[in-house]
Amino acid sequence: MNKLEEKAVSLLQSGVKLILGYEKGDKGARPFFCHTPEDASKLIYDEHATTNLATYILKPELMGHDKVAVCATLRTLRAIAQLASENQIKEENLIVFTITEEGNGDVKEFSGIDEINSYLTDKELEVAQLYKELDEKLSGMSREEKWSFWVNEFSRCIKCYACRAACPLCYCTRCITDVNRPQWIDPWPSPMGNMEWQINRVMHMVGRCIGCGACTKACPVGIPIGYLSRKMLNDLSEEFGYIPGQAMKDGNSLSTFKPEDKENFIH
Amino acid sequence: MSKIGVFICHCGENISATVDCQRVAEELSKVDGVAYSIDYKYMCSDPGQTLIKQAIKEHNLTGVVIGSCSPRMHELTFRKTCAEAGLNPYMCEIANLREHCSWVHEKGEATTEKAISLVKMLVEKVKKDHPLTSIQVPITKKALVIGGGIAGIQASLDIANCGHQVILIEKDPSIGGHMSQLSETFPTLDCSQCILTPRMVEVAQHPNITLYTYAELDSVDGSIGNFHVTIRLKAKSVDPKKCTGCGTCSSKCPQKKIPSEFNAGLGTRTAIYVPFPQAVPNKPVIDKEHCNYYQKGKCQLCKKVCPTDAIEFDKPDELLKEDVGAIVVTTGFNVLKTDFFPEYGYGKYKDVITGLQFERLASASGPTLGEIRRPSDGQIPKKIVFVACAGSRDPAKGIPYCSKICCMYTAKHAMLYQHKVHDGESYVFYMDVRAGGKNYEEFVRRAIEEDGVKYVRGRVARVYEKDGKLIVKGADTLLGGAPVEIEADMVVLATAGVSNNGAEQLAQKMHISYDSYKFFAEAHPKLRPVETNTAGIFLAGACQAPKDIPDTVSGASGAAVKVAGLFSQSMLVREPLIAVVNRCAPPLFSTCVGCFMCETACPYHAIEHEEIKNRNGDVIKTVAKVNPGLCQGCGTCVAFCRSKSIDIQGYTNEEMYAEVVSLLNN
Repeated sequence: MNKLEEKAVSLLQSGVKLILGYEKGDKGARPFFCHTPEDASKLIYDEHATTNLATYILKPELMGHDKVAVCATLRTLRAIAQLASENQIKEENLIVFTITEEGNGDVKEFSGIDEINSYLTDKELEVAQLYKELDEKLSGMSREEKWSFWVNEFSRCIKCYACRAACPLCYCTRCITDVNRPQWIDPWPSPMGNMEWQINRVMHMVGRCIGCGACTKACPVGIPIGYLSRKMLNDLSEEFGYIPGQAMKDGNSLSTFKPEDKENFIH
Repeated sequence: MSKIGVFICHCGENISATVDCQRVAEELSKVDGVAYSIDYKYMCSDPGQTLIKQAIKEHNLTGVVIGSCSPRMHELTFRKTCAEAGLNPYMCEIANLREHCSWVHEKGEATTEKAISLVKMLVEKVKKDHPLTSIQVPITKKALVIGGGIAGIQASLDIANCGHQVILIEKDPSIGGHMSQLSETFPTLDCSQCILTPRMVEVAQHPNITLYTYAELDSVDGSIGNFHVTIRLKAKSVDPKKCTGCGTCSSKCPQKKIPSEFNAGLGTRTAIYVPFPQAVPNKPVIDKEHCNYYQKGKCQLCKKVCPTDAIEFDKPDELLKEDVGAIVVTTGFNVLKTDFFPEYGYGKYKDVITGLQFERLASASGPTLGEIRRPSDGQIPKKIVFVACAGSRDPAKGIPYCSKICCMYTAKHAMLYQHKVHDGESYVFYMDVRAGGKNYEEFVRRAIEEDGVKYVRGRVARVYEKDGKLIVKGADTLLGGAPVEIEADMVVLATAGVSNNGAEQLAQKMHISYDSYKFFAEAHPKLRPVETNTAGIFLAGACQAPKDIPDTVSGASGAAVKVAGLFSQSMLVREPLIAVVNRCAPPLFSTCVGCFMCETACPYHAIEHEEIKNRNGDVIKTVAKVNPGLCQGCGTCVAFCRSKSIDIQGYTNEEMYAEVVSLLNN
């Protein structure tokens, strides 16, 4: 029995009804809902465990009155911390543990959100190779060229909203795309409607996106949409001292004012 | 189906000179949903309003669009007109055809087309409008007055005499302000203290006034009718309940050489002190920056000699929370010191003093007991030069404005000097004599003609010391700029009146606007001179600009009437144009997901948490709720809400969208 399995069994025996984790799938790890101690042996944790499980912990079907534990990767932890700052986590029903990178698969259970936040303070947010390449490509472009690059990219969008479904922070019960009085965004895939949707999605992510890349991974037509949110993270960190990947302590950068905030954009 | 009435006003010729009003009305009559459309010369006139009322009744109108001047002018008028005809007032919209169209464009086809578009836009909005009812908010009938000078004293007394509770806070140990420092007052030469001290005592004794001296405003929350203020009661180190004001402590205090603020630096005081004999309250405070105990850790002589054991060292500042309905800001002004002027010796000549210092010299309670004696050697100056406009009206010094009071007090100073030193000579260098005011010009003439004060029109270029005399070099511009040189014993600079220390921070704390000189700004310089742009916060006195006593007092009474007027209402009636978080049927209850980003975005702290509970009392969902008493309808939360769960009533997303689409479809 490995340490992960031991932990899972002990949690399930102590009243936890469900453990969100990963099991072996056809292509690496896939999400796994572990309900019984017998299933605990199927739990795995490796570098292929990339799905952000935080997406599930907001689902009312899973999060009722029962206790649920999450085997969290760094991305999941970041999402949980951000969700907590947005009042979305019922702490009393959620147990979060991770497999520490430092030890030999040691299991670390967090006492609460504060401990998750302090655990994250020295964990730098990595930048995906794809984004680095895009950075290089886009940095040489003029404003107009960039615009036409993205218009072209988004022309392939089929409005399947997989990005929305995969994102742990897209949890609104009514998305702006579903608002029809007035209909701000064209619901069908069209060049204009696609731009409207993606610009809105990115703007709604500013200061909230934790850079997990779930959206890019989910896109069936391969648009690197996560790059835009990632770019916003960097802009925020330059303008308002926000640290990418860490939850905001005193409110979102764009909804708060601090005397030291730059005002050089006001003319 | 909407039945909308469109009323196009000519505004005399203001609109009709460039816009073809008749055509606008005709075009609008063709728009879907418009049941009636007409133009008229003056819609705001009585017959114009009757026209609207009759049309509403005859055609059963469901909405009204008026094409006229800015809604700032007549929105209220027309909404009332509609209400009188039985239509909900918020179903009436104004298309601004004057400021937004006729005044800014030339006569022509395009101008009329624009007017048509503007009205069409509003027609589309009215179709989406919902009837609204005004909001009633309870009022806390207690006022806060900040600053205990004559303005604050007058405002407090006036409000208190109307039967309302007043909290008066003053940052210094005593109320009285600058007026208590003055010797005599122009143009009647009555003693300043004699007319002020009865008011000070009245404040202290008034049952409706709670006076906190040595207190400052810490923070303000809330809005008109319901402000929540925190007052910092600075530690006085003396228990006012035990202290009898006997003065033994001050007489024993070893720190005796501290420049007295009350005497504008000309006299000294002790570290435990009462600023002046008529101070209210007449109880000392310890100035921690100069006290031996606070600075060096030992002394406590005052504690040893105090017969009632009233000295309490090391007591922290207290923070007092109060709810008030209105705030009057009367924080006053300051005068520039002599060290501001390089040409007059950077403040290094002892006998170059400010007008305020001269007041102390002339005052019976001053350091010389009312005798004019120069600070350097105590001699009576035989020749004295007064320099008006020291700093004022000098853009190079950053003070282009006129300080208003200097002409008059300089005439008064010269007059007082002549009355006290009969063989003395006095000169006044002036730019213009600005003596506008009741009996003011007569007063200046009296100084010149009866008391023999010599007025020289010109600026003083330089003052320097030579053989114990102050050489004043200037020019007489009435004699073609002939150089004038006077060997004076003393020079009095009528230094410019400037905004008080900390005015900027205070304004930011209260969210009131201020000008580039950091004087507080009125809501309207002529028609709303005692109001700020923040409802419920009023201004009086020299915190707005330098003012003389009559102006200050009338301003204070004006502000007091504004407060009393506010308090005379049983409920505060507010426009319902505020944000509302939507509610819908279970199981959703609201499309709000409770992320509360609106809470940090709201500048008015109007967002509250509402717990939606089931029958067992379990919380199903926590959603945002807007406090209608605090919301100012700025719309920041609306812009921030990702799920579009907040709307401003009267300016909903749907209404705005309809307007924009109407323009785009043109």
